[in-house]
Amino acid sequence: MTTAALVRDLGVALAPDRVRAGALELALYERDASMLTGQASVVCFPTSAGEVSAAVRVCRDHGRPFVPRGSGTGLAGGATPLGQVAPVVIVTTKMNKILEVDSEQRFAWVEPGVLNLDLSTAVAHLGLHFAPDPSSQQSCSVGGNVANNSGGPHCLLYGVTSAHVLAMEVVLADGSVVVLGGIDPEPEGLDLRGAFVGSEGTMGIATRIAVRLTPLPPCVATLLADFSTIHDAAAAVTGVIAAGIIPAALEMMDATIVEVVEAYVHAGFPTDAAAVLLVEVDGLRGGVDVCTSDVEAILKAHGAREVRVAADAAERAAWWKGRKSAFGAIARIAPSYYLHDCVIPRTRLVDVLDEVGRIASSRDLVLGNVFHAGDGNLHPLIVFDRRAPGVLEKVHEAGRKIIETCVAAGGSLSGEHGIGIEKREAMDLVFTEVDLEAQKWLRDAFDPEGRCNPEKILPRGGSRCGDISSLPPGAWV
Amino acid sequence: MKDALRSFADQIGSEGPVAVAGGKTHWGVGGWPATGTKEVAAPVGVVAHEPAEMIVRVGAGTTLEELRSTVEEGGQFVALEADDPSKATVGGVLAVGLGGYRRLGWGPVRDSVLEMTSVTAGGEVLRSGAPLVKNVTGYDLCRLFVGSLGTLALTGEVVLRCRPIPEAETWWVGEGADPFAVAAGLYRPLSVLWNGIHTWVGLAGYRVDIEDQARTVLGRAFRPAERPPPLPGRLRRSLTPRDLRALPSTAGVDRPWLAQVGVGVVHCGEAAAERIGPVGPPSSGVWDLHRALKERFDPAGRLNPGRSVSGVAAGAGV
Amino acid sequence: MTLRLDPDELAACVSCGLCLPHCPTYRATGEEMLSPRGRIAAMRAVDAGAGIDDAFDRMMQTCVQCRACETACPSAVPFGRLMERTRQELAPRSVPAWQRLGYKALGSHRSLVGLTVLGGAAQRAGLVPHALARRLALPKLPMRQARLVPTGVDVWLFTGCVMDAWQRRVHESSIEVLDALRVGVALPGPGAACCGALHVHAGLHDEAVRLAGRTMGAFPGTAPILVDSAGCGAALKDYGHLLGRAGAAAFSARVFDIHEWIASRADQLPPAIDGAPRRRIAIQDPCHLRHVQRADSHVRTVLRPYGELVELADEGRCCGAGGAYSVLQPELAGLIRTQKVAAISAVEADVVASANPGCSMWLGAAGVPIRHPMEIVADAAGLHRRRWRPGRDRKMSRWLASSGKFGSGWKR
Ligand SMILES: Cc1cc2nc3c(=O)[nH]c(=O)nc-3n(C[C@H](O)[C@H](O)[C@H](O)COP(=O)(O)OP(=O)(O)OC[C@H]3O[C@@H](n4cnc5c(N)ncnc54)[C@H](O)[C@@H]3O)c2cc1C
Ligand code: SF4
Ligand code: SF4
Repeated sequence: MTTAALVRDLGVALAPDRVRAGALELALYERDASMLTGQASVVCFPTSAGEVSAAVRVCRDHGRPFVPRGSGTGLAGGATPLGQVAPVVIVTTKMNKILEVDSEQRFAWVEPGVLNLDLSTAVAHLGLHFAPDPSSQQSCSVGGNVANNSGGPHCLLYGVTSAHVLAMEVVLADGSVVVLGGIDPEPEGLDLRGAFVGSEGTMGIATRIAVRLTPLPPCVATLLADFSTIHDAAAAVTGVIAAGIIPAALEMMDATIVEVVEAYVHAGFPTDAAAVLLVEVDGLRGGVDVCTSDVEAILKAHGAREVRVAADAAERAAWWKGRKSAFGAIARIAPSYYLHDCVIPRTRLVDVLDEVGRIASSRDLVLGNVFHAGDGNLHPLIVFDRRAPGVLEKVHEAGRKIIETCVAAGGSLSGEHGIGIEKREAMDLVFTEVDLEAQKWLRDAFDPEGRCNPEKILPRGGSRCGDISSLPPGAWV
Repeated sequence: MKDALRSFADQIGSEGPVAVAGGKTHWGVGGWPATGTKEVAAPVGVVAHEPAEMIVRVGAGTTLEELRSTVEEGGQFVALEADDPSKATVGGVLAVGLGGYRRLGWGPVRDSVLEMTSVTAGGEVLRSGAPLVKNVTGYDLCRLFVGSLGTLALTGEVVLRCRPIPEAETWWVGEGADPFAVAAGLYRPLSVLWNGIHTWVGLAGYRVDIEDQARTVLGRAFRPAERPPPLPGRLRRSLTPRDLRALPSTAGVDRPWLAQVGVGVVHCGEAAAERIGPVGPPSSGVWDLHRALKERFDPAGRLNPGRSVSGVAAGAGV
Repeated sequence: MTLRLDPDELAACVSCGLCLPHCPTYRATGEEMLSPRGRIAAMRAVDAGAGIDDAFDRMMQTCVQCRACETACPSAVPFGRLMERTRQELAPRSVPAWQRLGYKALGSHRSLVGLTVLGGAAQRAGLVPHALARRLALPKLPMRQARLVPTGVDVWLFTGCVMDAWQRRVHESSIEVLDALRVGVALPGPGAACCGALHVHAGLHDEAVRLAGRTMGAFPGTAPILVDSAGCGAALKDYGHLLGRAGAAAFSARVFDIHEWIASRADQLPPAIDGAPRRRIAIQDPCHLRHVQRADSHVRTVLRPYGELVELADEGRCCGAGGAYSVLQPELAGLIRTQKVAAISAVEADVVASANPGCSMWLGAAGVPIRHPMEIVADAAGLHRRRWRPGRDRKMSRWLASSGKFGSGWKR
């Protein structure tokens, strides 16, 4: 059937003005924040679960795949439309209502398009917040967080999204609607809720989500420590954890990052430091005081030149703003960046950072590191100008080497951004065929015909050498 | 351990009904294995505890007691509970997937699992997750397997998240206090338990904080307790946290029950369980998904035949 | 046709999406077409040869040019410049003759005053169709206004077009407040009738340059030029860039938002009248104050002695007025305003302070009790009495009384 017929039927299912197929508009939905480019056939904006279900049924009738999309801040190409036939992009941004807030039972039912930070802002007067706090939290949707099982600095203590989702209503690939999980703690049957979280939009579209709300800590202390070598900083991270302390957040930024971030936020970061650690401890006053002085002592013992404690909420906010805008601010050095997301055993931080640095410098690439040090979640950031001849090949090659280095150190492909298209061909670096086959069983049980966000996460077979440069054209450009 | 896993897989083979026997503390949950089911044992022993990584790799046949004592040496603990830790095995606790009294503070069992090495119905070794405290690489089969009663794969070895042992853990008991107000007033309590008359409170963390909370929130109505109360019965019910309020009338105060305030789990015996009523079955759509999963993971139905994940919380016997 | 945008400026956008929630049109619709990221991607496509069509034109015309995206953007994409250039390229096809006439009128003080009197008369005679009045968000147009009287030569007060014609009482208050600071105010001649901001936004570059030249001529000497309209202030401060001449840059350096200038003398502000009720003042940040002049903190400094300041929870998002935007894109502007009004009514405030005439008119038309900070200061410090005008003060006290009632009406 033709695209015109598809547009017509979707228009009937939704409303004609919320179904778009103009070339310019389609181009805006051909990728997410990753710059991995695909091709959409239609973009539509449902406003209710009923409409999502109707749209999915139309896709089924027309034999079209579909791709769920939230705010499009994903970094692994999860919302990039790929498929044998160009998929329909189903955007949840117009489903952005907070449906119910239950402060007694500490949860909220929200529509998937609600922005992460909006939710926390809306419940702050109740002394609550939604704990997962990706650096993109002002922009990313709760639906996207669920699909990617997103993390953030404070997930070190509070846990990633999966620990904060109680239940959700999902439209499956055949258009049927199911509720997975529940408000009660031990719903009957398998933990399908847990299986859905992190499935990157390949098992259905979440249309309503019950998220746990966490009390705001009564007391917070934020420490900023600067080091003259990255080694000292990394050793301090291990030192804190070894002392039996799990801070609320434990973040590292290297000199390259500190410099651009300071230029953006003017938060008073020491621009002459080789590395900066941002440590936050929270809880009750007494414990926070004890913990703050313990952490301070450990940082100093590991060679911190200076440890500052944020004087007030404004200073803390400025530090976090700096940390959270690092990815964007890097464009002040060069217009393109390729951001990696790997996890490694925390104790390997020093060697892996060394090796990653060598990988970049031997190729004359500028590299910055800004990451969740507390849980070993690296974000090496290669900055380049794609207009320079030959640079793309070098960036790809470095990217592959970085992944290999992390995996060789006992790490894994992604700590929070997901696999999407970006890393699907690297999956066999960490999984055997049996492992991947079993993952496919799960996916197939939810979507036997493979119509929901095809070509994501699992390798396409064929090329099985973990070769990242076998990506679609336009990757990371 | 590679060898132990290999021989675990060999025992399971690829044909015939099979189940893993752990401590058999919850052997009847979800139904008794069909007669003729071969019983195999999972590898036993702590393979490696890495305190700096906050992880421990352990054979699924290891008892919770052994796990605890090993990890404790590194100043850490694993957030798994069982009523008989000297018998209950890690694999068994994960297969059943139900937590103990400290769920309010520790979170559900599934959040402690980082990696699982299992054997599929086809007899092949299957790894999911990674031995890392943070990881979103691929589909989350671990969460699918926790609480699956071994109906999708049989687990041989797992990597669990460890946490630092807090400076102190103390218990308190009081009478007449509103347990819901107490739970709401405390900051991140470990546990609040209520039997309709008494309220037990578990607090863990820095000593200063515990003292402060005990003074300002618990007050005179509470006195220190040695330990949490014993289980009132082997059954459990899952209610929304708010529905617990009605327990004195729904379950009655004369029949023993113990509710986890803020969580919704009710531990009870037959009598109270009956009064509260059974847990509703999953919807038909959800049930279809269960069937679709079982068809793919275990088409011949050889893993734990006779057991069903529906009815786990209802606790079909012990 | 291409837009001839600076490729480096375009390349600076890394598509991270951090600007999305700050963009009023994206917030109102959730569509990439109406987002900064989408607009930049479209500009890039055009410069790569995609061609300009109606869809592209709409994407650009629907931008309020609030520049919130610029403040939010960590990689410093100069969105305002990109959009101004784009509008300039689009102007020949996108700005119809009737609009050009309107922009011309803005540049001529006499015709604006004339039209105002005519319009005011028509309003009173019931001749202006309701729908049109609403669309234009017209306040009740003043028929007669007191002449402004200069009080000295220490600073210039920029009087402007719409503001001087329709909201002269704001200028009066500004002069009164400066008077209390013992600062003498000089007033420009008719040459300062229009700063050209709206022309820049519409892409009418040549007209804007002409007006800028004329405006500069109206402020001889070196005295600071104070501006009590956020939009005009932003435009005057940009003359250096607009004209690309050293003289223009020197002129721009003399320009201050009035709050910015007073803030450094805040300790000399007169006290509030004894016994006056301390009102809760919600701050509405005009985009061109917050995102362009980045002078939003100064408004707070100036107002703080006179009431309890209340922040809105929307991080200063645009109200949808946007110069001529509310007239040209009434539907989107209405959606945006609805969100703003919701944010305002969520806080309990007696009065809302806005340092931009466009925002005041636009929100005032939706029933928001909105006043210029200078008016609030002059009221609270009792400065109106210095130049006693019975008619006005009666009105003022009536307003004060009614705003008290209105205030409680705003409580949730
Ligand atoms: C500057 C920047 C910083 C970031 N920082 C972090 C960070 O600290 N931690 C982190 O984890 N991530 C981070 N990210 C990545 C990204 O923001 C997160 O993955 C986020 O959760 C994606 O949300 P989204 O709404 O933008 O989803 P999208 O990008 O629109 O979609 C992401 C995936 O979710 C699927 N999806 C979306 N909505 C639904 C739904 N309702 N149902 C089913 N599937 C759905 C899509 O198909 C896609 O696969 C960052 C990104 C940027 C640009
Ligand atoms: S304009 Fe700035 S904030 Fe917006 S997407 Fe581009 S780089 Fe990100
Ligand atoms: S200037 Fe304002 S309306 Fe235009 S894209 Fe930026 S934020 Fe949106």
